Amino acid sequence: MNLMDSAIEVSGLHKSYGDFAAVRGIDFEVAPGEVFGLLGPNGAGKTTTVEILEGLRPRTSGTVKVLGQDPATDVRAIKDRIGVCLQATNLPEKMKVREALTLFSAFYSRGVDNDKLLQRLQLWDKRDEFYSRLSGGQKQRVALALAMVNDPQVIFLDEPTTGLDPQVRLEIHGLIGELRDKQRTIVLTTHYIEEAERLCDRVAIIDEGKIIAMGTPREIQARTLDQSRIEIHTAQPLPAGVPHFPESERHLFNEDRRLLTVYSPKPARTLPEVIKWIDQVGGELEDIHLKRPTLEDVFIELTGKRLRD
Amino acid sequence: MNAYLANIRMNLLLAMRDRTVLFFSYMFPLIFFFIFGQMSHAEQGGASAQLVNMVLSIGVLGTGFFGAGIRAVADREQNILRRFKVAPITAAPILVSSLVTGLLQYLPLVVLVLVLARVMYGMPVPRHLVSLFIFISLGVLAFRSLGSMIASVANSMQESQVIIQLLYFPMLFLSGVTFPLGIMPQWLQTAAQFLPSTYLSMGLRSILIRGESIADNWEAVAGLALTIAVATFLGVKLFRWEKEEKMRGPAKLWLLAVFAPFLMMGLWQAHAKSNVVKEKQLARDLSRGRTLLIHNGRLFLGDGQVVEQGSVLVKNGKIEHVYSGDAPTAKSLNAEEIDGAGKTLLPGLIDVHVHLGSPGGVYESREDYANFDKNVDRELAAYLFNGVTAVKSVGDALDMVLGHRASFASGAMLGAELFLVGPMFTAPKGHGTEYAQYIPESARDAFQAQIVRLPQSADEGAKQVLDLKAKGVDGIKAILEGRGGFARLDSAILKGVAAGARQAGLPIVVHTGNSRDIQDALDAQVNGIEHGSTADEIPAALLARMKENGVTYDPTLAVFEAAIAASNGNAELLDRSLVQQTGPASLLRATKQSMIKDGKKADSPLPVIILERAKKNLLAAYHAGVPLVMGTDSGNPSMIHGPGIHRELQLWVETGIPAGVALEAATHGGARLLRIDGRAGLIHPGYDASLLLVDGNPLADISVTERISAVLFKGEHINRGELFDK
Repeated sequence: MNLMDSAIEVSGLHKSYGDFAAVRGIDFEVAPGEVFGLLGPNGAGKTTTVEILEGLRPRTSGTVKVLGQDPATDVRAIKDRIGVCLQATNLPEKMKVREALTLFSAFYSRGVDNDKLLQRLQLWDKRDEFYSRLSGGQKQRVALALAMVNDPQVIFLDEPTTGLDPQVRLEIHGLIGELRDKQRTIVLTTHYIEEAERLCDRVAIIDEGKIIAMGTPREIQARTLDQSRIEIHTAQPLPAGVPHFPESERHLFNEDRRLLTVYSPKPARTLPEVIKWIDQVGGELEDIHLKRPTLEDVFIELTGKRLRD
Repeated sequence: MNAYLANIRMNLLLAMRDRTVLFFSYMFPLIFFFIFGQMSHAEQGGASAQLVNMVLSIGVLGTGFFGAGIRAVADREQNILRRFKVAPITAAPILVSSLVTGLLQYLPLVVLVLVLARVMYGMPVPRHLVSLFIFISLGVLAFRSLGSMIASVANSMQESQVIIQLLYFPMLFLSGVTFPLGIMPQWLQTAAQFLPSTYLSMGLRSILIRGESIADNWEAVAGLALTIAVATFLGVKLFRWEKEEKMRGPAKLWLLAVFAPFLMMGLWQAHAKSNVVKEKQLARDLSRGRTLLIHNGRLFLGDGQVVEQGSVLVKNGKIEHVYSGDAPTAKSLNAEEIDGAGKTLLPGLIDVHVHLGSPGGVYESREDYANFDKNVDRELAAYLFNGVTAVKSVGDALDMVLGHRASFASGAMLGAELFLVGPMFTAPKGHGTEYAQYIPESARDAFQAQIVRLPQSADEGAKQVLDLKAKGVDGIKAILEGRGGFARLDSAILKGVAAGARQAGLPIVVHTGNSRDIQDALDAQVNGIEHGSTADEIPAALLARMKENGVTYDPTLAVFEAAIAASNGNAELLDRSLVQQTGPASLLRATKQSMIKDGKKADSPLPVIILERAKKNLLAAYHAGVPLVMGTDSGNPSMIHGPGIHRELQLWVETGIPAGVALEAATHGGARLLRIDGRAGLIHPGYDASLLLVDGNPLADISVTERISAVLFKGEHINRGELFDK
């Protein structure tokens, strides 16, 4: 990737609040048209990092370029060219949807056809509705619309689906997918693994202010030695004395011994042997799952912590 | 610019959709308006302007503290401002649009309240309407920027509410918004000068009640404008978009910067006290704005005519209407009633000959003399107490009387309207120069410059008159007195002085002692003769000349009576009821003691004959048709200020002058000499409502004038009992 072409360049970024170091040396680049995910638990430094990029916070040290400009000095210019969907924002209760778009459009030097934007975000029917009467998903779509009123070159989405029910989350994923298809540069922070896996071209995993892994979701998954999980549920508890299955190095039971998990890089070879053994011990199969390794697994492997705790 | 306009448009839309905003912006003030309008009898005038001030000031405080302040905190707490934070705008469009929206939202209320006050309560249209709107706009902007500033320094809703309550309540109650400041103790009045709302309310009232412009209230304008500038600048600097961003303790002290202009103005006012004075004037103007009906009394109109049963409607300080026979009820005229049954209403009395520089007696201690200015204030109040609504000082220290005339004319002080001549024209070592002997030698020249003019030629005399005209005197007085060892002013010089007075358009009166003095004065074409003659009978030819030329005659009988009594050690005149009521008691006590002690030692007590001659000359002047005026020469020994004119009236009637003629001299006659007969001295529509109501009929018994039932001064029903406390 040519450095000059990067939409975002971050190197050696540090941010401290008094004695507390929230960001401790972060480097990454985002190419134009790329969807870049920042994944990490609460308090990892994701939001601090993007807010520095958005020009909302000063940094302690390091260099940052957004669209070739420094957010510390060219904050107005950068804000004018980016779109931001923040966590937990509100609009006045009696503001109508279309009025909100008109109002925020007035703040930018570039604009789009707001009516088309409303239609694209399925808000056209709600255009004259008060903000207070919108559902959670509709409010989030308004937030997305507001992030796009200036035809932004980079869109920052800070936890865009947090707190939404699964159905709405799917809707939002669809919208982001559309943006990706239109070659928008997007920086997405999330602590939903599947969101990152589904939407991002590349992901950086952040923990305690540092990037601990970065790459395409597939590359990161490869870091877990590519072990798939075979999960077998049985009607009765299984006996001890599990043999060594081919290609497998590891297995474990849950407490009631009715769920057996076997790890294997080549599950197609391992699985028949496992079933054969259950047959031998007289176990009755209830269910079988074959699971590819996930970012969650990576995260647990890299940090020893789960993402959502 | 787009950002500003879009925000203003949006804020206005939001405000119109918000029922609580509409209620607190319009309904709440109107409910207030009606309730307090009924309670304060706004329909009787005066109070209506106070009501408008109250409603508009409370509205300004509300829109500032609650509309701008609390609202801005709420927007931050609800994460609304966060959304604006990511847009390429500063805080300026948000703050400025809040200011402008608040103003646009407020101005309809101003129009509404003014129209309602006009239609319902007949409030006069303020003379400077544009000033009113500019001033109230400044007020709205200042208090909204103050509210925004509070929102900027408060870290939570709770904190902002504490700060706002701490500011709102003192401003509501201690700055003349709801209760008049004048009723507060002095220290509280001084403390109030540190509150921005005091300047808001005072400016509003000055424009509403006194017809002032914003230029007259430049201090308040400067303070409010400075608040807008400082609070907006700091508001932008300290603006916080998110509730998580906390303001550090010391940074909150920036709030004090907004109050700095008022801290300075408060300190200045603690020294200058000009607002305390203005507060009194505003209270005075309010009292003078009431509508009163003096109902069903006998009316002595001032020009000799009498209405046996009539009523007088007083409005905005003037006589609005004179009813002969039955009058409408006070209620139907929206007036407060003063019952006139069995009473006689006269124009306020006018005493054309007083000397305020001396007390009319002896004070007990040196300190009493040292309180010179206070004594004069009390003397003028004493005249009003006695129903005398105008006096002419004919020979007093120029700067002293000019100062008192100004403070009484402004309404800051309450007392008779003062007319003055300043220094007297006389000869070196002439009558009028002898008072300098009581002054320390070092100050003697300065004293003489204040109290006498000693022209050496006719030209110099004329020039001195013109100089005094430039200083603002209302008339000229010269002295022709050759008796008692005094040097007499040369008659040729007097002619120069009189010529100067004609050129300056000032009436000139001359103190005379005998017929020759009168003749010289008439030769100089003067306008009035003071004292006349006690030495001889005035020849008919001279009286005829006086009549022909309209020269007034002022016999000052009471001072001769008092002088004779004093020289005989007789203090009975001081026991008269009105004299005792007027006091002060210590002055009367000390004067009486000195008379009893000194009286007997007088080697040659004044003979009664001088009073007899004076009476005879008055009667002759009356029969000759000479225009008469009434003066008392109060300030001379045992002629304390105030009640003298009632004794003078009695002496005239004793002399054989009809009571009606004496009363006309004491009202309309005096007004003509003072050249205020176009507005005073008569009960006539459009004239000043300066009136005296007495129990009984003075035309039948002149002593009735001493039974004072009510005194009105420029429309204010004077609380006589409180006059001397002020």
